[in-house]
Amino acid sequence: MIILENVHFAYDGIYTALQGVSLQIGDGERVAIMGTNGAGKTTLVKQLNGLLRPHRGRVFLDGVDTKRYSVAELAREIGLVMQNPDHQLFLDSVEKEILFGLKQLGFSSEDARVRCEKTLSNLGLEHLSERSPFTLSGGERKRVALASVLATEPRVLVLDEPTIGQDAKQKENLAQMLQDLNEKGRTVIVVTHDIEFVIENFPRTIAMANGTIVADGPTNSVLSNDDVIVRCSLTAPQLTIAARSIHSVFPEVPERLTLLSNLEGEIVRVLRGV
Amino acid sequence: MSFLEVFQYTRQDSIIHRLDPRAKLFMAIVSAIVSLIFLEILPLVIILVILIPLLVAAKSLKRWLRSMKGLSILLAFILVFNTLLSPAPNPLNHSIALTLRLIALMTSFSLFFLTVHPDELSQALIQMRVRFEFAFAMSMAMRYVPTLAQEAYAIMDAQKARGVELDKGNPLKRIRNIVPIIVPLIIVSIRRALSIAESMESRGFGASPHRTYLNRLSFKKRDWAVVFISLLILLMTIYIRLFIPLQVWSLPF
Repeated sequence: MIILENVHFAYDGIYTALQGVSLQIGDGERVAIMGTNGAGKTTLVKQLNGLLRPHRGRVFLDGVDTKRYSVAELAREIGLVMQNPDHQLFLDSVEKEILFGLKQLGFSSEDARVRCEKTLSNLGLEHLSERSPFTLSGGERKRVALASVLATEPRVLVLDEPTIGQDAKQKENLAQMLQDLNEKGRTVIVVTHDIEFVIENFPRTIAMANGTIVADGPTNSVLSNDDVIVRCSLTAPQLTIAARSIHSVFPEVPERLTLLSNLEGEIVRVLRGV
Repeated sequence: MSFLEVFQYTRQDSIIHRLDPRAKLFMAIVSAIVSLIFLEILPLVIILVILIPLLVAAKSLKRWLRSMKGLSILLAFILVFNTLLSPAPNPLNHSIALTLRLIALMTSFSLFFLTVHPDELSQALIQMRVRFEFAFAMSMAMRYVPTLAQEAYAIMDAQKARGVELDKGNPLKRIRNIVPIIVPLIIVSIRRALSIAESMESRGFGASPHRTYLNRLSFKKRDWAVVFISLLILLMTIYIRLFIPLQVWSLPF
């Protein structure tokens, strides 16, 4: 359980990035954080593992204030993958890179090898395991960086913009892996601008603007709220727009629909005249 | 690293800022040469007494004082160790002079770097017949120092998030911990250099053999005056050093 209590943060003490953020994320949740550029999303996730410490307010992990822990200690519980993979890759093969992360957290070498292989095949990287990360494409490097943390299966997994540069297939693979981890009880938190990815995979969305939380709740209600869409400069999901126009003709179809299966069901129901 | 502040351009308006960078470069070189000619306390104090009002004129005295405070540990170190280890007949005198010389040298160049914008510097180099590509490379290098520092912090964050403990363990382990920082830093820099080169070329860098410039530097009367006075001082000091036997300017201990 993660609790943020009225967290304030300003870079260099001047550039305000968070002003009074409070939230609660329970074990085993899947949460997306969305918002404008510069809304404070990355600053927020860095508070979780102690890379940044709140200037005011507190961050709790399982009821203990995280200021008691070092970043390395928190890293055992909270795995954070940052936006730029080039900031963390430094070894000369993909496999070593992933084993390094596992060894840092104290996995036995046998266990590490098994986890490494599994993660590589899940992310479609097995054919690259001997390659140097520096010779890979941008999207592949991104997946190596993700793999190095996913392999450790941390209790809380935080991904900053994981879908950048990934094609539909890779996004699906990633979503599947997150799903699997989540089923094992891991908490998954994602910062992203990818609205479709959120709708399909994250039941809860936190919308941010100007260092504050604008909305926090079930994804389909947050993302079908016009006010949130405007303040967080998002584009309304196409399905919501479609649902709305159908709603204007058939009022019995609810206008707040974000999942294709729900909308499909409604349309079929209306057309059958049930 | 706060002492580096004194070598960082600050956007201000002052008589010194308005001088031509070439005149300031000449002035800085002359005052550096003069500081190197003498290794006695009194002349070095005189140099500082001349340089400090110039800092005041450049509205940068506070900055300079702050940097000197940041540097004070190093200066104290030089002072103490030279006094203890120097073979000179009067070690304390010698080490005070050395410390003053370092301050004078730093001040000379800080006066230049504090008041010359990187663009002005590259323009000055170009007008001194340095090829544009080299001048540009130099101003780019200066421009990217803070970016590199930012990048280094981002990389440290990324590694810490993976559980790397940068500030723990014995010295050997700490040295080994530099590897996960330095390798990505080098790779990122090379990648960036390549992509900057590509984007510069796609915007037509080097397309026309003859470049024109928006701002050209021109030497004004005050710039000539600075050069003239500097030259005069230089010749005078050389003359004094060579031909006038100086009495022993040292502290009586």
